[in-house]
Amino acid sequence: MTKLLLSVHVLAAILTIGPVAVVASLFPRYAREALDGTGEADPGVVRVLHRVTRVYAVLGVLVPAFGFATAASLGVLGDAWFLASIALTAAAAALLVGGIVPGQERLLRVVVGPEEPPASWRSEVVRLGMRTGIFNLLWAIVVVLMIVRPGSTTGA
Amino acid sequence: MAFGSGALRVAALVEALTLAALLLNVATVHAAPVSAFLGPLHGAAYLASIALVLTTPGAPRGARLRVLIPGVGGLLAQRRL
Repeated sequence: MTKLLLSVHVLAAILTIGPVAVVASLFPRYAREALDGTGEADPGVVRVLHRVTRVYAVLGVLVPAFGFATAASLGVLGDAWFLASIALTAAAAALLVGGIVPGQERLLRVVVGPEEPPASWRSEVVRLGMRTGIFNLLWAIVVVLMIVRPGSTTGA
Repeated sequence: MAFGSGALRVAALVEALTLAALLLNVATVHAAPVSAFLGPLHGAAYLASIALVLTTPGAPRGARLRVLIPGVGGLLAQRRL
């Protein structure tokens, strides 16, 4: 049973966090191009990038759900590497839900809406890019923790 | 938000159906692998329903509260959106 749970956990991580990482990283560039008229970006592209970010972020709850089930089945719920992973995952999720998705929504309203972009839109784009970079760094650390499992006596 | 409501429909159905299957399993054969697999799936669908409703702009208070109800919250909230 552990093998099935772990397979679902890894598959869900690849298919949900992967797209969020790629698409959320592309969003600031395409939003900037749509706002200053450079490049080939149009508002439709920015809208799709936001939709993919939002929906795959929601689907991403599969990853911790099956992660907890796998950990329970392995009996590692109290291990330090597992607790550290939970803390980092929670921080990444809070950043995604509280910083990246709302930041994208604000920029998207300016990109597709009739209203004039505020003077601060460039710094908003830069902040969004920074948040997305931190998000990617956090979940990359969690992946390494899952593989190295410092302090664990099982596996490599 | 036609797109958002489609995602909620799926999450709400999974939430309700997995709970029904879990309860049926407990009441009958109580196979451990079934619980181990459907448990996290139900939890994920429950959280996804909540996330979808709470991030829907302008969702009424009735929908926001109803989606927290375990098992059928997603289905109830869907009728309020």
